[in-house]
This record gives sequence, structure tokens and C-alpha cells, in this order.
Amino acid sequence: MSLDLSFLCEEFPELQLSALHRGGGVTAYQLWLPSFQDGREFKWAELRLPKGFPEYGKAFIQLSPDSVLRIPHLDRAGVLCIEGDPGPGLGYSPEDRIKFVLHGYMEQFLKPWLNGDLDGDFENEALNYWAIEVAKSRSNTDAVRGVWTVDSPPTKARVRSGLLLIPNRVIIAADEKLRITNRLVQSMGPAAKQRVRVLVADIPISHAFTPSTWPRSMSDLERILQGRLPSGEYSRLQHSRSRRGRGIYRVVLLRNTEVAFAYLLPGGPPTVLDVYRGKKASPSLHKPLPLMTSRLDPDWTVGRDQHPEISGRQAKHVLVLGCGALGSPVVDHIAKAGVGRISVVDADTMSSANIGRHLLGADSIGQNKVDAIAQRINSAYPATEVTPYAMSTADWLKKNTLVDVDVVIDLTGEPDVRVQIEQVRLSYPRPLLIGWMEPYVAAAHACMLAAGHKWLKGAQDPLSCLEAVVWPNEVIRQEPGCSSRFQSYTAAAAEHAVALVAECALEMIDNSVAVTFDSTVRSWVRGQRFLDKHWPGLTHKEWAKAACVHDGLILNRQFP
Amino acid sequence: MSTTKSAELVKHAELEYPTRLTKSLESFAALREGYITDARDRLIEYGLWAKALSEANSHIAVDEEEIRAAADAYEEVANYLASNLSWPLKSISIMTQGSVSTKTLIRSPNGSEKFDIDAVCKIDISHIEADDPMSFFESIGQALKELEAQAKRRCWYIPFTGQRFYLEFTPSIPLNTITAQTLSSMAPRYSASRYEETALAVVDTPTKSWKTSNSAGMSKWVNDTAERRLIRSIVMEAYANDRAVASVAPVPDQTVEITDTLRVAIRLFKRHRDMCARRGVIDAATKPISVIIVTLLTSCYEGLADLGRSFEHPIELLDELATLMPHLVLKLDGKYRVDNPTVEGENFAEKWNDDDGERYKSFMTWTNALSADLQTILALKDPSAISRRVREVFGIPAPTGGGNGLTTIQPPAPRATPASRGLA
Repeated sequence: MSLDLSFLCEEFPELQLSALHRGGGVTAYQLWLPSFQDGREFKWAELRLPKGFPEYGKAFIQLSPDSVLRIPHLDRAGVLCIEGDPGPGLGYSPEDRIKFVLHGYMEQFLKPWLNGDLDGDFENEALNYWAIEVAKSRSNTDAVRGVWTVDSPPTKARVRSGLLLIPNRVIIAADEKLRITNRLVQSMGPAAKQRVRVLVADIPISHAFTPSTWPRSMSDLERILQGRLPSGEYSRLQHSRSRRGRGIYRVVLLRNTEVAFAYLLPGGPPTVLDVYRGKKASPSLHKPLPLMTSRLDPDWTVGRDQHPEISGRQAKHVLVLGCGALGSPVVDHIAKAGVGRISVVDADTMSSANIGRHLLGADSIGQNKVDAIAQRINSAYPATEVTPYAMSTADWLKKNTLVDVDVVIDLTGEPDVRVQIEQVRLSYPRPLLIGWMEPYVAAAHACMLAAGHKWLKGAQDPLSCLEAVVWPNEVIRQEPGCSSRFQSYTAAAAEHAVALVAECALEMIDNSVAVTFDSTVRSWVRGQRFLDKHWPGLTHKEWAKAACVHDGLILNRQFP
Repeated sequence: MSTTKSAELVKHAELEYPTRLTKSLESFAALREGYITDARDRLIEYGLWAKALSEANSHIAVDEEEIRAAADAYEEVANYLASNLSWPLKSISIMTQGSVSTKTLIRSPNGSEKFDIDAVCKIDISHIEADDPMSFFESIGQALKELEAQAKRRCWYIPFTGQRFYLEFTPSIPLNTITAQTLSSMAPRYSASRYEETALAVVDTPTKSWKTSNSAGMSKWVNDTAERRLIRSIVMEAYANDRAVASVAPVPDQTVEITDTLRVAIRLFKRHRDMCARRGVIDAATKPISVIIVTLLTSCYEGLADLGRSFEHPIELLDELATLMPHLVLKLDGKYRVDNPTVEGENFAEKWNDDDGERYKSFMTWTNALSADLQTILALKDPSAISRRVREVFGIPAPTGGGNGLTTIQPPAPRATPASRGLA
């Protein structure tokens, strides 16, 4: 629609009142431009109203294509990305909304731009502008679509080998000497059925590049390569050939801990792509191709650089016994938290009764739970390697010791397992976490035992004594995995228990070096309302009564 | 003519027959081959490049006002020191050193970053008893405690929150007031030099010992050298007398014009080095340090003056400086040498000799890039193309202004508090 904007004439003489029609039902109004200093100019600016305005969409300002990547705060199409139209539904008239747009354009963009106040802004959002540069150069026949890094930037520039994965067309900027490379390749499955060796010039940079400092031509890149690489590495990059004597793909990776920029150099082999009924080859590039990068190193994927404890977790090996409704999501959580190695022991297979509260679903019915869990986690989280053992704890202990295990987590709920672990911990003192849930997940407990602390009190298993609710005999208690009936509970109710146990597990893993921590029990206890809903007349034990009035409460106790 | 050390350095550099950047540029044919004979016409021709370089130079120079603000700050530091130290006020003197005192301080490529003001605090040791270097250094730091001073290798760093600059404050004692015994223990290589009277002893904290330094001498050397005229007088007169020629009229409000060629070269070349580090062409950790650039350019300029050379325009001189500079690095007995002309025996390029050649490589990469980039500027003749290229090469934003007549539109009612985002 075109609006009558004549009310703005006096206040805003720059606005041209004759509406122009643009593609997609967009209405545009030209804006007069001031006289520019050399280098600050752009060809045109328009106020644009999308189809359906004012009921739908927001008004915006669009600048001519010559301004993209020359002037900050513009997206690839030249649309100004500053605060403007608040949009429909907030009580503003269309006229007021347009005034917001024009005010923003004038005061937050045009005047500051002419004054030079926006000149440093490219650097603040460098990767957004790089994404525009990459998108501008992209085509369907590009040999490479992106670069994944799996380690920290080097301190000195060097040439290393990497892998191009086909048909995914992603380059991993590391070779199989790093375990994480293999894990990534495996996780991609058929998307990485072919691996091609490539060369990567891995060069640390001190500052994020901006449109005025990033390399724009082969000679710009050449200058960097020659200036930064040791001469032997430089000539290796220049003269490398594949085993068949053809040119190989070469990538320049320029990065620091904050940002990374990559280019595919011209001169690689032709790109061969699967097309309808056959393959099609496209000639190699004649100029460098800018590429986006993604960080797949654990510090980033696990903690977005906010968690220094991840490097410690990466070195840890955790043994998890039991992979049921509690064990399976706990394994998932500690994998997500960046624990380097997890061995999972469980003899059970996935059945239809498990679906409602297990990490796995119907697609895993009939599979060993541990195998399916390992497959799922190994392909989803490259920071972690899960080794499955489809056997009972007793069998596992016959074949293995705890010698290279840092922390043991028992989530079987089985009294026998607790006794077996107690025995083996006499020879290999390791921190132990025992986690379980009470019926209906009315409570859940994580008992954290330091390396030298025993679980059994003489011959007595203290598990029942540690519980929060007084359970009448009528409530049938069946340990999961045993026989016919299971307490009914939702996965959502169990999620509280999962979170409790997973947090405790991570605390223990992070502190496992300090063997002298106090053994404690942390419990999640639901309140009276929850108990009443599930069974009439249930009461809390004395120590847990604090939870009565709440929906749920976490309580800490010393292990007796 | 007596040959000075700088003159010898220039002659040595010339033995390698470096070619002028403009040697084969088509754009320079008319000047080079003498097709233009009239002095004024030649000036106008040179002015094409001079104007653009002068604009770049004014952008990167830190203006007097900002430096004055810093001067107030270091006077404040002096007062702090005087009131907090038990030493008499007359024994303490504070002066700027480095690029501030040579007027070659430049902005960082990202204008929002701070620039550093180097100041040296000289304590006359004859009035005090602090003979132990570390306790002397620590007592200065203690006196600066309220300013949040942090110890660095040889100075105290004062952050000055909220200001555009920070201060690096180097405690020192005049070299000529200390005993011969201490002197021989601290600097066996020291001997008299041209700027002996300003030589200082500063504390090198890693080795807990005194080290010689002569920042005042260095500044004086640069400033003395910059005063020497290398541009033939006919050109200077044309500059002075013919302001009507717009393209060569000096830019007003400019403290140092491109006729101040040594300082212009120092500023532009340092800026180019900073841009090379930003572009990833050289490693920021091994980039050539400013004092090396200053020493090479000043030696080169001084050597040319000592040899009685003259140039008809600052552009020609800049060309000569850029051409000769890389050849002024000496390699004697397999060691790179860039000697401090004001302290005998101090080699600014010391680190180049035990880093597997990385710093030397950075230096050569940079000087090659500088020459190549200057050539791309000098190869152009269209004034706006020259300006654009100069801005690209030196990372200078486009000139500002021009929005004065724009309307101010009032936003409608105050905006409702925008809905905030939840964590998802």
C-alpha cells in the first residue's frame, strides 16, 4: 500500500512523496541525500514498506548495493540494521512507526556515518560482515562449503594437513592424528564417505579482519603466506601435488581465539559433484573463495569458552554402570559437559516399555541399550568418546579393572552391584557416586563417596535408610529391570533426578583429584502435594520434612 | 667532508644499488625525465601525492590538545611522587620520552584504542641514597600506588581509566651522577657518545640491575635531525610564496606538514607497519619495533644531510627514505645491528639475533610491502584515485563532515520498554 506521507513534508523534507513500486509488493519512497565527502557516498536510500504494511511486516530503510560492506550496519541486501519500526501490535500508528524509522536512519545512522562515528563498527561484528562476503562469493559448484577447526590457533604460522569430506564438502583443519578428527568423520557417516587430503596454512592473527583489512585478492593472500610461513612450509604449500600428480586443495585459515576466516585457494582439482544420473565436473577456481568456519573444539562446543574446567574433563575417564531411565540421560549430560571418555556398562536391550522414559526411542528397540547410546553420543558430541559394554557389572569387573578410571557412577539401583563395587574399590580406591530414585520419583538421591570411603555399614546396605519417604508395604517396589511392574512416573518428573545426579557427577569429576572431599548425600525431595497426588497418606521422614510445603527441595546431608 | 656514521650507513646502503620506487613508474616519467621544467609546474605535479599523504599524516597524528591533556596527567603524577616520596622535590624531574617528545606519536588503526604516553622520571641520585636498583624501582611504584600503577619490565604502567591514553613511567637516575664503580658494573660497553649528558640509568627488573638508556638523547637526535633541510630552497620558496596553488597549499591547522619529511615518514611508516600486523602480513609479536624504524629513518635522513644531498620535493625524499631504509640494517659478524646512536653499544636489533630470523623476516616482509604499496600510490595520477588508495594502504577512514544541513526529526512518543528476551 502507499500511505499519505505528506504530514512528514515539513518535518522531514528529505522524503520524496511519490511512491515507487519494487518487487514483492514493496512500496518505496526515495530519500534525498546530502552532499558527501569523498568515500562516504552511496547512490540511493529508500524508505520501504513491505507488502501488507502496516498490518504485517515492518518498515525499513534500504541503501544502494554499492554501500554493502563499505558502510557498517547494512545486511547483504543493503537493509539498514538499526532500531526502527517497532512493528504492528504495540499500539503505534503507521505514521509514528515511519517516524521511528526515519529518526533512526537520521540520528543513528546517517549523521554518525558522515561524522565518522561508525568507522570502527565493522570490527565489533566482524563475522557478520564476513558472512556477507562469503555469501556473495558462494556458488553451487564450490569444492568446499566450510572449514571446521578442532583445536586452538597455533602460536606460529604453519602448514598442516587436513581432510576434505565428500559429499559434505566440509574441510576439517586437522588430520587423523587428533582423535577428534576421527570422531567427527565417523559422526558424519555417509556425508563423509570420501576423505581427501588437503593442505591448510594455519596462521594466527592478532585482530579480527574487516572489509578494509581482509585479503581481497590472491596477491593479498600471497603476501600473508610469504610473510608468515617459514620458507620451507611456504614452498611445500606452493608445490604440493596429490599422489596422482594433480594439484590438491589448499586452504588458508586465519584465526585467533575469537574469530576465524578461511579461503580456498585457486588451483585445486576440479569439483566433481553428484548430479542427476551421474557426475559433473566444474573447473577449479580462478580466485580465492572466502569460507565460513566453525569451531568444533570442546572448549567451544561444550562451554562456549566460558568453562576452563573442560580441559580437565577432557582428560577424565568415567565408568557408568546402568543405562536405564536414569543412567541414559545422565550419560548424555556428562557427555554434553565435555567428559573425554565414558565407559557404559548395561546388559539390557531396549524394549517398547522403555520408550516413555529412556533417552532412546522406538528406533532402538531390540538393540543393546549401551550400543545405541554409544552410537548416538559418539555421533552427536565429538568431544566425548563412549565405549559400550553390553554385559553385567559382574562380567565387566571380571575382564577390567578401575586402574584407568577416574570416577565410578552406579545408576543401576542394584544391591548386588553396590556390593561388587565395594569390593573392587578396596583395591582401586576411586570416588563413587550412587544415584537412585524413590517410587514416583517422589525423591532422588546422589550419594557422593570420596575415594577411600566405604558404602556398606558392616554388612548393612544403607540405601533404604537414606530415603526420604516412608513407603507403606502396599506400594510395590520393584527395582527397574527385574520383573513385571514398574512404578509409574513421567520422564519430566525423572528429569529432576537426572539433573541432580548429573550435576553431582560433574562436581565429582571436576574434583576427583582432591581425594579428601567429605562424602555427602544430595537429595531431591518432592513436597506433600506431590505425595498426596500419588498415594494417600504418604509422609516424609523426619530429615526430609522441610520439603513438605514446597513442590520440591534439594537437601544436602553428610554421608553417615 | 668528514664522514659521519650516518653518512657511512647511507653510502653502505647505496652500494647495494637499491632502485627508487618511482624508477620505472609511467606516472613519474614527466618528472623523472625532466619534461616538466618549470619549478611551479613540477611542484603541482608532486602535489598530487603530497596532498593525499599529508591528509593521511594529519589523520594519524595525535593532536596537541590530546597531548596537553596527557601532559597535565603526568604533572599530576609528578606531584603525587613529590608528596609521597621522602626525596626533595628538586631531585625529581619528569619529562616525556619516545614518540611524544619527537612529535611522532600515532593513533592505533582502531581509533578507540588508547595511545601511550611515555614519560621518564629522573631522580638525581646525588641527593638520595637508593643505590639498590630494585628498592629504588619499588619505592617509585609504592609512591604511585594510588594511581593503580602496575610494574612492567622497566617502567610503571598507569592505566588512567577514562582517558584516551595511558602512561608508562620509567624511573631513572642520570648516568653522570653515579660512581664509576657502579657504572662499570652496569654497562661495561658504555662509552661517551654525542648525547652523553642526557644518558640515564634505568632499572631492568628481570635482571634486577641498572641498564643505560638515553631517551632524551634519542629525542634530541630526532628533533635536531628533523630540522635539517634536505629540500632545495627553490621548492621551499615556491611553497611559501605561492599559496594560491590550491593543490600544494599546506593544509591549515596541521602542526607538522609534509615538508617536515622525517617525522611524516616516521608516522606513515609506523602506521603502515601497524596495518600490516592488522592484515596478518606480519606477526604482531615480531613486528619491527618503533625505535628501529625511527633510528633507521633518522640515520638515513641524517646521512643524506651529512652527504650534502638535496631533493626537490618531500615526495622525492620519501621515495629515497623508503628505498634506502631496509639497506641500513647492518649485518656484522653474522649479527644484525641497528645501533642506538645515543648510547654506545646498544643494539636495538639485539633480539633479531636469537629468534631464528623471525624478526628480520618480519622487517623485510614489512619493508617489501611498504615499497609495493607506496608504488601503487605513486603509480596513480588521478587525485581522487590517489586519495582512495592512500586511505586503503594506511587504513584511514574517509574524510568526515557534510551532514550539517540535515534535518532533525523528533521521534514520536517515548517508546514502550521493549519486551526482553528469555533465555532459550
